[in-house]
Amino acid sequence: MRPLDPRLIARIGPARRYVLVTAVLGVCTALLILVQALVIARALAPILAPTELADDGLGWIGRLVPLSVRELDVALLWLAVIVAARTALMWLQERQAHRAGTRVVSELRSAVVNHGASLGLRWAASGRAADVTTLVTRGLDNLLPYFVRYLPQLFLAVTVTPIMIVVVLGLDLISAIIVIVTLPLVPMFMVLIGRLTQARSERHLAAMQRVGTQTLDLIAGIPTLRGLGRARGPAARVRELGDAHRRATMASLRVAFLSGMVLELLTTLSVALVAVSMGFRLAGGHIGVETALAVLVLAPEVYLPLRNVGTHFHASADGLAAADKAFEFLGETVDERPRSGAAPSLAGATVSLRGFGVAAADGRLAPADLSFAASPGAVTVLVGPNGEGKSTALAALAGLIKPDAGSVEAGGVTLATAQECVDDESWTSQCAWVPQRPDLGPEGRVLSLGQRQMRALTRAFESDRPVLLLDEPTAHLDRESRASVIAAIAAAAAAGRTVVVTTHEPELIDAATQVVTVTAGVSA
Amino acid sequence: MNPFLKAAVRDTGITRWGYIRSVLAGTLALGSAVGLSAVAAWLIARAAQMPSPADLALAAVIVRFFGIGRGVFRYLERIVSHDTALRGVVRLRELTYERLSAASARTVLSLRRGDIVARAGADLDSVGDAVVRSFIPIGVAVTVSTAAAGIVAWQLPFAGGALALALLLAGVVPAVLTSRSARIAADAGVTAAAELSVAALSAIEANAEHRVWDAGTEARAALEGANRAVEDAADDAARPASLAAASQTLFSGLGLIACLALAVNAVRHGDISGPAAAIVALTPLAAFEAVGAIPAAIMQYHRSAIAAERLAAMTDEPDPAADANPAPASGRAELSMTNLTVGWPGATPTRPVTATVAPGTALALVGASGVGKTTLLLTTAGALEPVEGAVTLGDTRLTPADAGVSYALTLEDAHLFGTTVLENLRAARSGVTEDEAWAALERVGLAQWVRSLPQGIDTELGTGGHTVSGGERRRLLMARALLADVPLQLLDEPGEHLDTAGIAALEAAVAEMRAEGRTVIIVTHDDAVMAMADQVVSLDES
Repeated sequence: MRPLDPRLIARIGPARRYVLVTAVLGVCTALLILVQALVIARALAPILAPTELADDGLGWIGRLVPLSVRELDVALLWLAVIVAARTALMWLQERQAHRAGTRVVSELRSAVVNHGASLGLRWAASGRAADVTTLVTRGLDNLLPYFVRYLPQLFLAVTVTPIMIVVVLGLDLISAIIVIVTLPLVPMFMVLIGRLTQARSERHLAAMQRVGTQTLDLIAGIPTLRGLGRARGPAARVRELGDAHRRATMASLRVAFLSGMVLELLTTLSVALVAVSMGFRLAGGHIGVETALAVLVLAPEVYLPLRNVGTHFHASADGLAAADKAFEFLGETVDERPRSGAAPSLAGATVSLRGFGVAAADGRLAPADLSFAASPGAVTVLVGPNGEGKSTALAALAGLIKPDAGSVEAGGVTLATAQECVDDESWTSQCAWVPQRPDLGPEGRVLSLGQRQMRALTRAFESDRPVLLLDEPTAHLDRESRASVIAAIAAAAAAGRTVVVTTHEPELIDAATQVVTVTAGVSA
Repeated sequence: MNPFLKAAVRDTGITRWGYIRSVLAGTLALGSAVGLSAVAAWLIARAAQMPSPADLALAAVIVRFFGIGRGVFRYLERIVSHDTALRGVVRLRELTYERLSAASARTVLSLRRGDIVARAGADLDSVGDAVVRSFIPIGVAVTVSTAAAGIVAWQLPFAGGALALALLLAGVVPAVLTSRSARIAADAGVTAAAELSVAALSAIEANAEHRVWDAGTEARAALEGANRAVEDAADDAARPASLAAASQTLFSGLGLIACLALAVNAVRHGDISGPAAAIVALTPLAAFEAVGAIPAAIMQYHRSAIAAERLAAMTDEPDPAADANPAPASGRAELSMTNLTVGWPGATPTRPVTATVAPGTALALVGASGVGKTTLLLTTAGALEPVEGAVTLGDTRLTPADAGVSYALTLEDAHLFGTTVLENLRAARSGVTEDEAWAALERVGLAQWVRSLPQGIDTELGTGGHTVSGGERRRLLMARALLADVPLQLLDEPGEHLDTAGIAALEAAVAEMRAEGRTVIIVTHDDAVMAMADQVVSLDES
């Protein structure tokens, strides 16, 4: 996984600005940490040195902090300013991070939802809409820890670490060598351990998920088991599954935490080695106390960002995975058939399908080779088993799904084929299409399914649109409403509108002028 | 502490020792960092006095030990704390299952919503996270901070006090600010997120409908509004969170300044030695790491508290009847409803129903959607009390404890488990033999289909297994009902989503139940299913 997805930078404005600001703040923070260490060394050196300090123990780096800082009053003033500045920078960084994080998530969310909406009915029916909703609500939220915690540390790792190494190099060669030798070991060992344990972790992860699913499955089954008087038994099974889950999880964690241990071990041990090496050289008079103090304070700072990157890696991985999914989804193409002018008026026109077929997810055509003509004044009823393509055929008449085979025609004019189609808007706006489980927008959410169905049907009947397309209009309705809907359908046809409905309802089939059986088939 | 989280954590049964050893390991880990800082400071300061190298040997060993200790103890802490928490979650999960299996009808029926169950899984884990990511880090912060302040106080009491104060402020102030942030996120954020979820799903799934009816702009506006509300809520919550982070930097800086000033002055006045001053001045550099974990711990605490509250709401009060001993099955018995009026508390009750259903006959319950057909079925099963009148099998009023003995209730959306076909049928009765299972499958016309499955009757179904179509599902539920050896069968909408062949299979199953002398109640609004019954009762007001 890339630590910084280039698509985030390239496509999301707030992300770009945030990366810049964070980089600048990172460098400022690095300089403040450096100066703070030098001030501490300068302030402590006079009281620790056995004799009066003569020359500057900080070499050319010492130019950053004047020798006067050896005076306690001056040092405290410097430190106060540094602490104030670091506090302000910290606040600014957090504020920026949260703001940029929410903006990026928000922009990405809008883009994904709008893209999902533009993919059309066929995609919405594929059942992936729920996945995408989960992605935009919960999945993308994982980007927040990525922006707030991980990215700043990543920038500190690329700003602070090199600056600190150069400084340590300027102060004490041996300490710098210890740091330079151990530093690459950290990512190296982490990658190595990651590689070695990947297969094992994946196996454990799969086991964890399986056991987790089985437990939830048992809980979901409680209403059913209660009805059969068998709800008590599985409690023991829940415990067994729980223990299995725990064992799988612990096996996976024992491995996963290894890389964390190596990270902490290497970074802390190298600081210890630097300290011990300097201690002996200091006792031997090979190095000055001011130098040693500065290196001692700086050494942990070299490793700190890297350690934090490791700590926040998992939070960031979830966020990046979500972003990756979002970009992948945004890359899916919409219908690219060329549009050839506006649709003709459908008032009084016979609408027909000819050799019509749409590819289903399972590779079949559903419907396959469907031909019929729905005349104005007639009620055309589409029947057939579930999953054979009744709803698809109905949506195709409204221009919501385009054919993969055959054509949709109206009054002798071709509206859509596998190659081209007329302008969607001019076609769709002439059709009163009512899907199964209508939504009706925000005001529909307080209504029951049956009420929504009636409201949506009423809207269709009362509209002045010439083509009426109703998908299982009598489902979820009681007997009385059913009768009134069937009467309204007959009345609409009598008024000269073109009516096509899908149904399983015998009474509605009885009211048909023509009954068409829709069947799926293997694609040619 | 939040009472719900407190109760949930108590239910995990994690012992005091479980917490102590995790906090101990964590203290040793972060304590190693503090110790490293203190001893290294002493080492450098002592070395500056140019002693013989032997005087530094012990300190050098200790420094190296702390260098290794941090990683090792941290690994130990993570393993111990996760193991403790996971064991607790296993207990909590079992306990939650037991409570749910004995809960009131309303609670049990709410489990039919998959999202509730899925959230319950995450909520149970979240209680475990409270232990690992909240309680233990806070415990470690207290012990390590105390130890760090103690080390400094041992050298220079006044500086120890200053460091203790700084540590306290660096722990408490961010904790308060983070709490406020979490509360804002929980109040405004959760509402906004729920609205966003609805708006997003609607914008995507109902897009075709919006296009047809020119409602796309409204849907987009609703989505943008929800999106902005989420953004605003997040921004409000971020304000105190940013202050929390900044306050930690401030207080740790102030602690450092105070200790440095006191150390240098103490040496100038000859109160302490140089090495002691180095310990006082440099220990604060490592001492604040433990309190640094507090904001995240407080965030986790609030997340877990919300999860625990949801769990508590889910498992509300137990149904005392579910625990009673079942009455012995009364053989083949007549079901009688006398002026029976049913309804959920607070809802409009149904019209009174009087009917007797003889063994070997079937009654169809019909009526408009929402009139109370399923409620009547649940009342018959004893899951709800009648509003008025009575319903008895033979002479006894059924209770939930009689399920599986006197009656079997098959809900419209009854669950198929992610296990084999055979095990799914055994949900009806544990003793179902393979022959019996095949006979039932034959009866509902599924034997052919099961034979075609890769492992036949031992094929796993559902997630990760073989997917089942709506019709196959209905028939499997029918076969399961057939295998429940009970005098009374309660079937909720068994004909929904069945094609003609499916209706025929249902008819065969109902015919078999009647032939065996069982009493059958079917809720339906399908004419073909009504035709299978000996009598039809409508709940619609006439």
